[in-house]
Amino acid sequence: MKKRVDDIKSTISDVLELPKDIVLDLPRITLIGNLQLYIENHKGIIEYSKQRIRINTNIGILRIVGNNLTIRTIVTEEIIIVGEIEVVEFIS
Amino acid sequence: MLVIRIWNYFRGYVIIKIEGLTLERFINLSIAKGIYLWDIIRYDYTTLEAKVGLKGFKSLREVVKRVGCRVYIIEKKGFPFLIHKLKYRKMLVFGFAVAVGIIIFLTSFIWEIEVIGNENADSKLIVDYLTKMDIKPGILKSEIDISELKRSILRDIENISFVNMEIIGTKLLVEVKVRDVMPSAIRKDVPCNVVAKKKAVIVKVIARNGKSVVEKGDIVKKGQVLISGIIEDEKLENPLLVHSDGTVLGKTLYVKELQEPIIKKIEEETGNCYSVREIKIGNYSLLLNNKEIPYKNYIEDKKNRKLIKILGYELPFEIIVHKYKEVELIKVKQNVEALKKMQSVRGVQMIMNELPKGAKVISKDVKYSIEDNILITRVSIEVIEEIGEKQKIQ
Repeated sequence: MKKRVDDIKSTISDVLELPKDIVLDLPRITLIGNLQLYIENHKGIIEYSKQRIRINTNIGILRIVGNNLTIRTIVTEEIIIVGEIEVVEFIS
Repeated sequence: MLVIRIWNYFRGYVIIKIEGLTLERFINLSIAKGIYLWDIIRYDYTTLEAKVGLKGFKSLREVVKRVGCRVYIIEKKGFPFLIHKLKYRKMLVFGFAVAVGIIIFLTSFIWEIEVIGNENADSKLIVDYLTKMDIKPGILKSEIDISELKRSILRDIENISFVNMEIIGTKLLVEVKVRDVMPSAIRKDVPCNVVAKKKAVIVKVIARNGKSVVEKGDIVKKGQVLISGIIEDEKLENPLLVHSDGTVLGKTLYVKELQEPIIKKIEEETGNCYSVREIKIGNYSLLLNNKEIPYKNYIEDKKNRKLIKILGYELPFEIIVHKYKEVELIKVKQNVEALKKMQSVRGVQMIMNELPKGAKVISKDVKYSIEDNILITRVSIEVIEEIGEKQKIQ
């Protein structure tokens, strides 16, 4: 059922050229070089250490691996992570 | 980013250390409660450092209870804490305010007037003029109307062609340019003589007006009349006074004597230096370092620094820095022939710079002699030049 709703939403956003992150409630991830990662629309932190950060999102867990990672800002909607980012991956 | 930082500073924030096991949960719960955390640094598995605003810190208590961790304050930062601290140190705030007030008060005056660009040394004239206009050290800056003052200086002081005024700090800088004043030529209807400018042997006299009183070959002294404007005649009762005019060419001699030791001592700096500070109060002086100067040969470099100037009076404080530079004495024997040539060229050049316009060189003579290891070079140059100069008849 949810799958079908998502499919319809996707089609609508394609047809009407609406941004998908808003229609489908997806995280928007912006990576600046390997220095800063900006995640909008997250669902909380699962793990946080200097080498690894895991963040919950709607479509699975986002894993960030790197060195000296710190959370610059964290609020309900967004997270800014700075440090030497090496890997950004989704684990579903 | 900077704006946010400044905002945080004004709101006040604390740096906290959180110790516990489920720190991720702590972060998630704080977010859920709408507490803004920033600069979160993970030290190890059980410790976390973060910054949190004042209001956020208060509502953090509930989260702490639920998660079961401990929170320590490491540092309190921001404006509210500063105010809080200063509440107990009222005199400090008062003193600071007084100091700022005094600085603002004192810098709103002009304490010094400096005149630059004035080679003819009538800076005093300008300063006096400004004093007359009530512009003197101690005047309020706001009372000075620079454009009006510039206009009045240009109007009232005659030989100034340009003036610029600027207030730099507490100094009023007056930049002036003096108009070139031509030597006032004697008017055509004023009787005058032509007299000799310098000692010379007359070569040629062309009198256009007046009576020439010297002849070719005469030796004249400085100030001697060459063409007289007083014409006496038996028929005339009173001598006739005329404006004499003419060209008088005379042979003059320029001599320059140069001395140069053949064995020359050159002082070469070794790069080592040693400084000693001296404080001078009135006539008493105090050396800050009383060690002996560690060099055998040295050059002393002295620098004075006046410290404070109040109300235009210098306080009798002075710091003198003596800088001793070590030098090495090297004796160099110079090649006599080369030295001779060099000296003669130098002598000729020096004379050439002195010669007036239109002078014609007729002979040059260079003589050398050696005395006590010193080469004496005597350069003499004979020239023909205009030696006449008009002088009013008294």
